[in-house]
Amino acid sequence: MLALDASLAWATLLLLAAGLVMVYSASIAVAESSSQTGHRSWYFLARHGAFVAVGLAAAICAFQVPVKVWQALAPWLFVAGIALLAVVLVPAIGRSVNGSRRWLSLYVVNVQPSEFMKLAVVLYAASYAVRKAAFLHARQPLRQTILRGFAPLFATMVAIGGLLLLEPDYGAFVVIVAIGFAILFLGGLDWRLFAGLAVLLPVALGAIMIAQPYRQQRLVAFLDPWSDPLGKGYQLSHSLIAFGRGELFGVGLGASVEKLLYLPEAHTDFLLAVIAEELGFAGVAVVLALFSWVIYRAWAIGRQSARLERPFAALVALGIGVWIGVQAFINIGVNMGVLPTKGLTLPLLSFGGSGIVANCVAMAILLRVDYENRRVLRGYVA
Amino acid sequence: MSASATLARRRGRAPGGPAISGVRAAVLFGGLALLFALLGGRSLYLQWFDNAFLQERGAARYSRELELPAHRGRIVDRHGEALAVSTPVKSLWAFPGQLEMTDDDFARLARLVDVRPAVLKKRVDDADNFVYLAKLLSPEVAERALALRIRGLNEETAFRRYYPGGEVTSHVLGFTGDRDAGQEGIELAQQAWLAGVPGSRRVIINPRGEAVEDVASIRAPQEGRDLALSLDSRLQYLAFRELKAAVEANRAKAGGLVILDVQTGEILALANLPAYNPNARDRVARERMRNRALTDVFEPGSTLKPFAVAAALDAGAVRPDTPVATEGGRLTIGSATVHDAHPAGTLTVEQVIQKSSNVGAAKIALKLPAQTLWQKLADAGFGTPPKTGFPGEVSGRLRPAKSWKPIEQATISYGHGISVNLVQLARAYTVFATGGELKPVTLFKTGAPVAGRPAVKRETALAVRRMLELAVLPGGTAPRAQVPGYRVAGKTGTAHKLEGRGYAADRYVSSFVGFAPASNPRIVVAVMIDEPSAGQYYGGTVAAPVFSAVTGSALRMLGVPTDAPVDNVILPPEGAEIREET
Repeated sequence: MLALDASLAWATLLLLAAGLVMVYSASIAVAESSSQTGHRSWYFLARHGAFVAVGLAAAICAFQVPVKVWQALAPWLFVAGIALLAVVLVPAIGRSVNGSRRWLSLYVVNVQPSEFMKLAVVLYAASYAVRKAAFLHARQPLRQTILRGFAPLFATMVAIGGLLLLEPDYGAFVVIVAIGFAILFLGGLDWRLFAGLAVLLPVALGAIMIAQPYRQQRLVAFLDPWSDPLGKGYQLSHSLIAFGRGELFGVGLGASVEKLLYLPEAHTDFLLAVIAEELGFAGVAVVLALFSWVIYRAWAIGRQSARLERPFAALVALGIGVWIGVQAFINIGVNMGVLPTKGLTLPLLSFGGSGIVANCVAMAILLRVDYENRRVLRGYVA
Repeated sequence: MSASATLARRRGRAPGGPAISGVRAAVLFGGLALLFALLGGRSLYLQWFDNAFLQERGAARYSRELELPAHRGRIVDRHGEALAVSTPVKSLWAFPGQLEMTDDDFARLARLVDVRPAVLKKRVDDADNFVYLAKLLSPEVAERALALRIRGLNEETAFRRYYPGGEVTSHVLGFTGDRDAGQEGIELAQQAWLAGVPGSRRVIINPRGEAVEDVASIRAPQEGRDLALSLDSRLQYLAFRELKAAVEANRAKAGGLVILDVQTGEILALANLPAYNPNARDRVARERMRNRALTDVFEPGSTLKPFAVAAALDAGAVRPDTPVATEGGRLTIGSATVHDAHPAGTLTVEQVIQKSSNVGAAKIALKLPAQTLWQKLADAGFGTPPKTGFPGEVSGRLRPAKSWKPIEQATISYGHGISVNLVQLARAYTVFATGGELKPVTLFKTGAPVAGRPAVKRETALAVRRMLELAVLPGGTAPRAQVPGYRVAGKTGTAHKLEGRGYAADRYVSSFVGFAPASNPRIVVAVMIDEPSAGQYYGGTVAAPVFSAVTGSALRMLGVPTDAPVDNVILPPEGAEIREET
């Protein structure tokens, strides 16, 4: 039996299990007080449990799919993803929550295409980098590199970015841009181009942020949440209070005060604040350690694939690592007031069906890459 | 070329894609690792180094000090019967902005709290930022209202004062007002004793203002103490019932009745009319709330005569059998004349009381120096408040003897030119009931005999008691005051009411003060009927029957042994005139 990367599998399952417990703890008060949930305290727990089950089933299926097939499917998945992002914007089909049009209503559940788009971008960018390898390198004239290597992907990224900003889903946009450029960077894009991008990208992101008033407000609130703690800084100030109350070992599981309707989105975007309050710095440190381990394993698997000259697999593994790493960093950074507020969930932990399923499938692909690496090392065909 | 790449090539996998730079991967991983380290540091800073500030901010948001209402002490009668109790009640309140109510909810809530849905809706619509949807609900109703799960609807606990006796005890007890504070009567006077000290506790509230967790009890509430009054519920009901019947039968404006325990000075009953229901006093006129027996004065009329006679007996100026000429019912002093309505010839001192002769009383009084008479009246408690412990009691008016003119000394002897309240008058009669001592009176239970202040000599007191017994016999002015089985002693009073600067010709205060059993007095009973207007107005016909009914029942309730045969009552023939001076 060719073993899985057991430590990676366990880290993933631990994060999912911790998510189940903490989503329940963080959502009890909200569920009990809302007529939309029928005042059932287990409303979110039951749904999240179902999401995790579906996610694990999807992961088992995804694991059966060879990396080669993912490579072949990559462009199609990418096109399908773009199509779904466009469909979301059609008023009759897309579902709007809190002013953002991010969901497709499928009667029983709402699907959030941007979560799956992240996976599609990982696969597509990796396949793109493999196909266009010849045009990415500095050995080409710079003009050739830009026109044939860089421009096509950049154009599609701009298009996706445009769709995501129309929803709007700024958080997903940042993650997707990060994945795309990280893969180009790893794929060997001419460093001069990258230096130029490294200057341009922050300017572009900053411009987008300032262009829309609500993002500007969030920025102000982020810089000094205590200047208007009951208005713009409300959410962040409550998140910070949760951290402060947690101290080293927390107030105890279930004992959070902030989750009692004070902290909005406690079971989704601000789940870590509840973890920080109930389980303290120790809980936060464990979460950070588990994510670090997942990213480290993604890197190890990616480097291994590269050494085995499986560049697509390598870039997919690294891309998944970047995805989980960047999204976790942004979510945790927002919770701690290091970054301005964005609508991003904590991967594998936060409540949300599309996110959980997309994350599970990504982890399954990562495990699949590792599985194939082990086969190749033992002389089998991947 | 690395070993694994060589391996791969041997397996027939040509290197086609990009060579992934180890340096770039390391840079990217290093970058992510750095960011995660930053998060770890930030977490430690927030949770360990900067947490005091954050916790303080948190406490400001959801830590509240809640008042814990303290239970107000009960007021009970001398046997522990509850006269005033505090019961928990609930109010339903909401911030209109946070209230989410459908028309269905309004209908259901309205049915529960017993108003029309439109009224309820109007209350909410008219409110700015806070509204009571219903007040003073029983805890059961409030619980059912909350079970409707209307978002934004909250409850609040308070205590409501309830007076089981209603109007019967209304004047003595008074009532409480806002925040359970005493406003009238004993509730006001004994506020400090009855009221508890509210405690407080620190709680965590959720954004809807509901307390979700007790953090600490800062101060336990200190419950109020119970208070035992001297009243006897049975006698109080009896007194009120009989007084009410008399006031209605005589179409009187007001009335009062006091029962005193001779030995302890305790007020066993104190009733007034008009009365009010303290449990529902929304539209009660202030004047119905007055405890007239303590806060109003009246000219007592003939009930004062025994004190003038006692003064003269005490000074040795007369003896009970000393003859007094009544001058055909007219006595002129200066420019004024004292009249007797039913002139008689010469009466003994005893008969002056029995027949209630104004001229006789005046002549006896005029035998004394003004100061001597004044001193005896003052010793009997006139001119000083009765000090029962009731707020706002009055002292009545007894002017200094120096300022008396002879005519005033004469009129005071039969109860004009002096004013008293009913409790004061009842207290004064303890002088004759005890054998010369004025007992201090109180509204609070003492249960033990109390020493009085000597007012007259024992022989004097007993002599006057004998005269007062004569007054209720058929030859006196108040045969209707007699009680089967008991010897009673007492005196009628019928006084013209003051009107402007003179006396009203047709408005009277009819009274009777007496005690029983005469052989060993146990209770003093004073009855006052203000402005009887059903034809009768003599104290002997209006007040004496009330005295008889109340005294008889009260003595039997108290288990006082009889001191006369049960057929002792001898009423004059039907239609015989009851004569009395006014």
